[in-house]
Formats: sequence, C-alpha cells, structure tokens
Amino acid sequence: MNTFVLFEVAGTTYAVRSEFVQQIDMVEAVTPVPNAVAAVEGVVHSRGQVIPALNLRTRFGFPKAAFDMRSRLVVINVEGRVLGLLVDTAREFVQIPLASIEPPPEGITGLSSHYLEGIATLKGRLVLVLKLAEVIDLVDVQTIPSEAL
Amino acid sequence: MKTAEPINTFDASSDDIEASREHGRQVVEAAGAVRRIAVDLASGSETQSARLDSAVSLSNEMVASMGETTRQLESIATFSEEIVSSVNETAASLEQVGGTTSGFATGIAEIAASAEETARSIDGVTTTLQGMATAAEETTAAMTEIASSVQSVSRDTEGLSASINQTAASMEEMARSISSLSGNADDLNVSAEETSSSINEMAASIEEVSAMSENLTSNVESVATSIEQMARSVQGVAQNAENIAAAATSAASTAGQMDRSLRTVASLAKRSEEVSRKLTREAEEGGAAAQRSIQGLSRIRTSIEQSSSVIREMGKRSDEIGGIVSTINILAERTNMLSLNASIEAARAGDAGRGFAVVAEEIRNLADRSAQAAADIAAIVRGLQEVARETVTTSAEAVRVVEEGGRLADEGSRGLQRMLAGIQESTDFVTQIARASEEQLASSQALVGSIDTTATQTRHVAVATVEQAKTTQEIVKSANQMRKTAKEVSQANGQQGKAAREIIKAAQGTAAVSAQLQKAASSQTTAAKEIAQALESMRRGAVSTNRALEEQTAATGQVSKETERLARQIANMGKAMSEQSVASAQIASTTQSIRRQSEEIAKGVTQQVRAAKDMKTSIEGISKDVGLITRSNRQHLDAFTRVLSSISEIREVTLRNVTSAKSLTDGAAGLTERAGLLARLLDRIGGNGRAKRPRSKAKQAGGTENA
Repeated sequence: MNTFVLFEVAGTTYAVRSEFVQQIDMVEAVTPVPNAVAAVEGVVHSRGQVIPALNLRTRFGFPKAAFDMRSRLVVINVEGRVLGLLVDTAREFVQIPLASIEPPPEGITGLSSHYLEGIATLKGRLVLVLKLAEVIDLVDVQTIPSEAL
Repeated sequence: MKTAEPINTFDASSDDIEASREHGRQVVEAAGAVRRIAVDLASGSETQSARLDSAVSLSNEMVASMGETTRQLESIATFSEEIVSSVNETAASLEQVGGTTSGFATGIAEIAASAEETARSIDGVTTTLQGMATAAEETTAAMTEIASSVQSVSRDTEGLSASINQTAASMEEMARSISSLSGNADDLNVSAEETSSSINEMAASIEEVSAMSENLTSNVESVATSIEQMARSVQGVAQNAENIAAAATSAASTAGQMDRSLRTVASLAKRSEEVSRKLTREAEEGGAAAQRSIQGLSRIRTSIEQSSSVIREMGKRSDEIGGIVSTINILAERTNMLSLNASIEAARAGDAGRGFAVVAEEIRNLADRSAQAAADIAAIVRGLQEVARETVTTSAEAVRVVEEGGRLADEGSRGLQRMLAGIQESTDFVTQIARASEEQLASSQALVGSIDTTATQTRHVAVATVEQAKTTQEIVKSANQMRKTAKEVSQANGQQGKAAREIIKAAQGTAAVSAQLQKAASSQTTAAKEIAQALESMRRGAVSTNRALEEQTAATGQVSKETERLARQIANMGKAMSEQSVASAQIASTTQSIRRQSEEIAKGVTQQVRAAKDMKTSIEGISKDVGLITRSNRQHLDAFTRVLSSISEIREVTLRNVTSAKSLTDGAAGLTERAGLLARLLDRIGGNGRAKRPRSKAKQAGGTENA
C-alpha cells in the first residue's frame, strides 16, 4: 500500500499514509479543554466519538490561522489512538512509489527529523512524508519548553 | 899607463929605434884616439851642459808651473770652499724654491680658481655684451632716427636760409624804396608849398557844394522813407498770399484725404451692415440651438437617473449571485471532502474498491472544477459590484454636471437673446451710417473740386505777389543806397571842408616835416644798409649752419654706421667672449695641469736639495783631496828644488869636465905634436928605421907627458 492523503499547513504540503486516515471532516465547533497541551486545540465530535484535535500549525511552530471553508479535520487512527489533525486544507489522495521517497537530508537534525519519514517529489513539488507516531507523541510534545502545561 | 912600459924598456939599438918608432906611431895613434875621445867628451859634456841648461830651465819652468799649480790648487781649494758655500746657498735657495714652488702651486690653484671666476665673469660679460649688443642695436635705431630728424632739421634750415635770402632781398628792395622815398620827400617839399595855395581856393568852393548837398540829402531821405513803407506793405501782401496758397493746398490735400476716408467709411459701413445681418442670423440660430441643448440636457438627466437606478438594481442582483456562488463553493468543498473519504475507503477495500476509487477521483475533480468556476464567478461578480458602485457615483456626478449644464445653457440662451437685440440695434445704426456716408461722399467731392480751384488761383496770386515783393525790395535797396550816398556826399563835403582847412595847416607844416622826413629817410637808408649787411651775415650764418647741419647729418650717418659697426663688434666681442670663455675653461684645465706639474717640480726641487747636499758632501771630500794634493805638491816642489840644485851641481861638474876635456884635448894635441917631432927626430936618427924612432920618441914623449 502506498497511497497517501496530502494536506497543507502554512504553505507546505505534507503526506500521511492513507491507512492511518480514518476519515476527513469539515472543521466545525472545537471545544477547548482546560490544561491541555498548547498544540491541542480542544475536543471535537466525530461520528459519535469525542476525540482530541491537534492543531498542526501550533504543533509545527507556525502562527495560528482562523478556520474557514477549506480548513479540514483529518481523523487518524495510529495504533488504536484516534485523534484529529487540524490542517489548512486536505484535498488530494495520491499514490507515491516508495522508491521515490528519499530519507530526510542529514542537515536537519534533532526534533524535526523525528517527524519526517522522508521527502518525495510529486509533479515538481516537494511533499514531506510525516511519521505520524512521532507527530502525535504528546510526551515529545510536552518536551517543548514553550507554552507547555 | 900603457906608455910607461915602453919607456922602461927603452934602449938605443936600431931595433930599439925601430921599436921607438913603432911606439911613437902607437903614441900618435893613442893621442889621436885620446884627442878624439876628449873631443867627443867635450862635445858630449857640452851637449850635456846644454841639456842640463835646458833641463834647468825646464825645471825652473816646472817649478814655476808647480808653484802655479799649487796656487791654482789653493785657489781650487778656495773655490771648493766657495762652491761648498754656494752649494749650501743653492741648497738653501732650492729649499726656498721648494717653498716657493708649493707657494707657486697654491698660487696656481688660486689662479685656477680665479681663472674659473674669470670664466664665470666672462660668461657674465658675454651676457652683458649680449645686452650691450641689443642696446647697441637700439642705439643704432635711435641714431637712424636722429639722422633722419637731423636731415629734416637740415631741410628746415635750408628753408630758413631761403626765407632769409628772400627777407634780405626784400630788405634790399625796401632800402632801395627808402632811398627813392628820400628823393620823393625832396620833391614833396617843393610841391607842398604849391599845393598849399591851390588848396585855399578849393576850400572856398567846397563850402558852397556842402550847403547844396545838405538840401539834397533831406529830400532823398523823405523819398526813401515812403518807398520803404510801400515795400513793407507789399511784403505783407506777399506773405499773406503765400499763407493763403499754403492753406488752400493743405485744404485741398485734406479734402482729398477726407474724400478717401469717407469712401473707406462708406464701404466699411456697407460691409458691417452685411456682417450685422449675418450675425443676427447666427445669433438666432445659436438661440435655437441653446434651447435644443437645454431640452437635450434635461433628457440626459432623466436617462442618467434611470440608468443609475438600473445599476443599483444590478448591484443588488450581484450580491444575490455572490450568495449563490458561496453556496456552490461550500457544496464543492463538501463534495471534495466526501470524494476524498471515498478514496480512503476504496483504498482500504483493496482491489474491490479500485473502481470506486476512480469514480471518487473523478467526483473530486468535478468538485474542484466547480469550486474553481465558483471562485471565477465570485471574482467577476466582485468586479461587477465594483463597477456598479463606481457607475452609481459617476452617474450622481453626471446628474450634477447635467444640471449645471442646463443652468448654463439657460443663461447662454438668455445672453443670446440680449445679444440678438443689441445686434439688431447696431445693424440699424450701421445702415444709417452707410446712408449718411454716401451723402457725405457726394458733398465732399463737390468740396474737393471747389478747394482745388481756390488753391490754383491763390497760387497764381502768391507767385505774382512774390515777384512784386522782390521788385519792391530792389527799389528799397536802391533808395537806401541813394540815401547812403547822399549822406556820404554830405559828410564828404563836410570832411572836405575840414580837410581843406587841415590841409592848409598841414601844407604849412609839410615843408618842415618833409625836411625831417628827408633826414629820417637818409638815416633809414643807412639803417637799411646795415640791416642788409646784418641779413647778409645772417644768410652766411644760415648757409654755414646749413653746411654744419649737412656735416652733422653726414656725421650722424657715420655715427650710425659706427654704432652699427660697434654693434657688430659687440656681437664679435660676444663671440670672442664666448671663445674666451671656452679658452678660460681650457686655461682652468691647463692651470690645473700646471698645478700638478708644479707639485711635481716641488717634489723635484726637494730631490734637488737632497742632491745638492750630497754634492756638498762630495765637494767637501774633493776639497779635502785638493788639500792633500796641494800638500804633496809642495813636497814635490821641495824635492824638485833639491833636484834642481843637484842638477846645478852636475852642471858645474860637467862644466869642469868640459874644461878638463879641453885641456885633455890640448894635451893630446901637444902629445901628437911631440910624437910628430919625435918621429921626425927618429927619422933623422935612424934613417932607415924611420918607423922605430917616431915610435920611441912617441914613447918618450908620452912618458914625459905623463910625468
């Protein structure tokens, strides 16, 4: 299986394996929760289930943006953990040959390299293939010294 | 000695006689030999004596020469000493020379320095010479100028000379005329007296004439006065006539101008009438157009208002379209989302979901395209709304402008109305002007004709009057002359009378005066002669001045030439100076070499001094040697003196030898004689033994002789 769902955050295109994606929703009401990690926007209701919503802009260190008609909630299921990723938009479903995914360049070390599985070139545009397990690792999230807790 | 033996053996036998003869012969022979030896001895002694004499004399000479030699040696010694001292002196002087030579060297160095300075000063002199050369050239130019001015002075002087000559000539003439005056004075003297009497007669008649001429004068005066009055009035008439003529002429020209301007006015009036009519028509048309435009404007305003409301309506509709478009957009987004979910599900279904995946993809594409189209529509609608808004604003502005335009058109229309009325009025006036100017034109033509006639007539009158005036003027002139003449005649008569009286008085004095005149004339003659002489000398002076000036000119020319030559010489000198400069540089170098040489000379002199010292030493040695030689020479002299005395003794002994040799000779002669006697005796004794007797007798004689 090498199908991916593409989404955009702050002008950059990211790819996640479609097998981890449960469904994609329009962004409606996000209920904030007290004492949540900064990246956790709140909780949402999805198909009869209440799941946490992780704002990837905040998670990736970009400034927040208002939600609009194009904003999406990508609901993922990684090893039984279900949560929603708040992204700028998600409108593509593509096949990427695994051979064309290159490992992240060695210059990028530390934190950000944990999130990346590799980088693919798709019709002339760069697509960052994410390691979802790392992205949603809230322990890791809590190590961010900024607005933690 | 040998002869002694036969004597002892003497005996008186014949044998003995023979033997005696033999002995006698032997004795004679021996005596001859003795005699020969004695003679030889005598002659040898004499020779010896002579030789000794000469030896003595030679020795004496030698002694003398040795003395001389000694003296000479002594003098040599003295000389040597002198030489030594002079050598010393020489050495000293050489040392001095050495010193002098080094002084000389320094002097030469100074000379070299001064030669260099000289060279420099020569250079300076050369530059100065060049300056001098320029100055000389300037001088030459100035001299040339002087020469020319002197020549001009010379010419002036020649002129002066000529004028002096002329003066002299005229003086001479004056002198001559004075002389003749003198002669005339004499004649005058005589005639003066004659004149005096006839003048008296004349004076009486003059008095009569004087009275008559006074009457005539008064008559002439009154005639002249009336003529003058007439002349004045004629002149006035002439002037007036001229004025009239001028006025008529100007009036004629003015009338012509007026006529022309009237014609111009008439044509202009006609043209302006036409223009006014045209203007009226156009103004009327303008008024109608203004009315039409006012109507059009109100229509425009209505239609703008209508379009404005339409546009507002359109804006409202656009907003509605915008709403619909956003709905479409939402639908498209949702469709996209759903198709994505479908794709995810299809992928999860594996091969079974493959066809579904394709459908989902196409749906997604369609949704994307409708979203794109909706976005395009939204953009267009936004543009439309923008344009509608702008149109609304613009049409409000247009309404305002139209209202303004309507108002202005109204005002324009009203103005046109007023203009129309004014034009109408002015057209009426112009028509009247045209009519009036035509009438004026007719009357002015008549005026011009009459004025022309007047002008012509007046001109004729003026010409005639001017001629009259001229004639009158001439009459006045002649009247004046008459008056003047009359007055002069009257005055002359009076003066004649006076003069006649004075002449009488004068004639009486004339004789005396003429005598004085005579005297004065003669003295004048003398003075004139003196003046002539003075003028002559002046002329001579001028001539000599002239000559001198010519000489000066020549001299100036020469000076000029000399100056030129000087300039050339200076130039040559300059050249020579530069050569000298070169030469002095050479001198400097030569002096340098001289200095070197003199230093070498100084060295040589030092060596000479050393040599002189050496010489002195050797001369002292020589002197010593000479002393030794002198001493030994003295010893030689002593020895020689002693030799001389021994020679003298030898001479005495020799002289004694000579004496004894003579006596020996005498003895031998006597012996020979006795031996001869003996021989003869023996011959007589013996008869046959002649030979024995002389011998024995010779023996006896010999023996006797010895005893």
